[in-house]
Amino acid sequence: MLLRLVVRRLLFLVVVLFGLSIITFGLSHVVPGDPARLMAGPRASSSAVDKIRERYGLNDPLPVQYVAYVQGVVRLDFGDSFTSRRPVRDDLARYLPATIELALAAFLLSTLVGVPLGVLSAVKRDRWPDHLARFVSISGLALPVFWLALMAQFVFFGRLGWLPDGERLPVGTDPPRAITSLYTLDAALTGNWAVLGTALSHLLLPVVVLAYGSLAVITRMVRGGMLEVLGQDYVRTARAKGIAQRGVVVRHALKNALLPTVTSLGLQVGLLLSGTFLVEIVFSWPGIGRYAVEAIQRLDYNATMATTLLIAVVFVLVNLLVDVLYLFLDPRISYS
Amino acid sequence: MSTDPTAPARSPLALPVADNGRRLRGTDIRRERSQLRRNLKRFLVDNRLNLLGVVIVVGFVLLSLFGESIALHDPYAQNITGAKLLPPSFDHPMGTDELGRDVLSRIMTGSRISLQVAAVVLGFAVVVGTLVGAVAGYVGGVVDEVLMRVTDLFLAFPALILAIAIAASLGRDLRNTMIALSTVFWPWYARLVRAQVLSIRERDFVAAAQSIGLSGPRLLVRHVLPNALSVVIIQLTLDVGFAILSTSSLSFIGLGAQPPSPEWGTMMSTARNYFRDAWWYITFPGVALTLTVFAFNVLGDGLQDALDPRSGRR
Repeated sequence: MLLRLVVRRLLFLVVVLFGLSIITFGLSHVVPGDPARLMAGPRASSSAVDKIRERYGLNDPLPVQYVAYVQGVVRLDFGDSFTSRRPVRDDLARYLPATIELALAAFLLSTLVGVPLGVLSAVKRDRWPDHLARFVSISGLALPVFWLALMAQFVFFGRLGWLPDGERLPVGTDPPRAITSLYTLDAALTGNWAVLGTALSHLLLPVVVLAYGSLAVITRMVRGGMLEVLGQDYVRTARAKGIAQRGVVVRHALKNALLPTVTSLGLQVGLLLSGTFLVEIVFSWPGIGRYAVEAIQRLDYNATMATTLLIAVVFVLVNLLVDVLYLFLDPRISYS
Repeated sequence: MSTDPTAPARSPLALPVADNGRRLRGTDIRRERSQLRRNLKRFLVDNRLNLLGVVIVVGFVLLSLFGESIALHDPYAQNITGAKLLPPSFDHPMGTDELGRDVLSRIMTGSRISLQVAAVVLGFAVVVGTLVGAVAGYVGGVVDEVLMRVTDLFLAFPALILAIAIAASLGRDLRNTMIALSTVFWPWYARLVRAQVLSIRERDFVAAAQSIGLSGPRLLVRHVLPNALSVVIIQLTLDVGFAILSTSSLSFIGLGAQPPSPEWGTMMSTARNYFRDAWWYITFPGVALTLTVFAFNVLGDGLQDALDPRSGRR
């Protein structure tokens, strides 16, 4: 059954990617805007523009261009970036680790803070931990992530000068020897403590800002789940048996209360991935979010499409993983 | 936000729809009205957060309608020589921007853009989503299967990123952003309405209507859909904030509205370059956006608790 689920989802992934490629390819090629002209620059002669058009196959009929594009994508060849003039695949490989580091740290932070905060909020209902948790969950959903990023940057860099304003490391600092390409992890693994500290200080603001939105959702879901579970008979039974509050909450209630939160993990990943687009821009974080936004601003189709496809793949795979995980966590569930 | 899942199910704002299929008589309507008034009091007075939400939303709507005409300054009038990046003062309560334009007047004018986009996007989403969802749920079979697979396709992406991809492919302007956001929002309504139709069509009053010979579109439109309305309204209220936020996010990264538009995200995108010298320029549009989104979220949550206490919160 598990195998069927996985196979079905993977087939769906193929359909999804196919659909997305048609949407973005179709749209980007029917509207005006001349990438060849853009690439050649405003002062290029028209023969130079033609040459570029010829070289990238922009003169071919659309279906031909599309088939060529799909053939490339299947071989993980997304074409060249119009702006960096390197293969988009190389660009993605170069920028991906920064995004992984940022998103992973944000995910960890929002989970490690959100779950206890949600539990505390439910247990101490209507007292100050609950008020704090409600403030977080209301503000987290209303605060525009890019504005939060700018304000954090303004306060902690602009006014207080406590933290750097962006990038992964200051200019002139060599990154640690690449093992995972996540600077903080590599620095720790190689025992390069000075760089670790610097990398962490650069990571702090973007991570907190990015995590805040999904922290709000997690807190809210855990709180709701806990409140529901704490009212149930089996919890009362556990209390009646004389189990201490801590045991009831952690061992009995939390397990069941977490199930809805696990289902929302897919949503979290969606939030984080969208958030990276906005946060990376503000903090000049050299990840694929910033890469994509810059590509969009320069009408760099190949780069834009490749990034979107990549994110779609990640999103669908994570959701698949969540469903599989759910199957193990809750044996009552069956996907038929 | 402050719901108690153990509280008994109640429906303080229940709309006076005859869900048992009979016609409302005069006395019924009077009773429903006093019920509605009581419920409204409970919704607004007993829950201060809801009241705050309503106040902000009303203020926002008024601002969108009249903001430009009551603004103290012309939102587009530049004054590069004398009024560049002035801090807040009596004449410019929220300061001026890099071209000497009054920030408050621009924020007031910009609210209309946000509301317009939200109205267009969600209007499209509700109409198309309801149509697709209702047909899928009512007709069933192959039609349902095909329509829902297409819907799933759109739901398979993080919403904002799909919108970014579409808006980027179409080209950078506000109209294209509206198209992109419409594409992102309708599938949620299709799913929602389909689920409602599936459950409502099994109810007794539908069987009763069928037994007196009603069928097809008339049964669907007159008897089934009105009962799906409250769920759609809740979702709609929750989505207004999200639509406004998405519009500004897209504008911030350079899609969506373009300068000199006073759209809030566009303003912040420019203000970014001056944030070290002019805190007011970046701060106030963000405050306006946050308050608006907050108010619609609170209102949506409140409505959800009131109209549909058992439904899961997002």
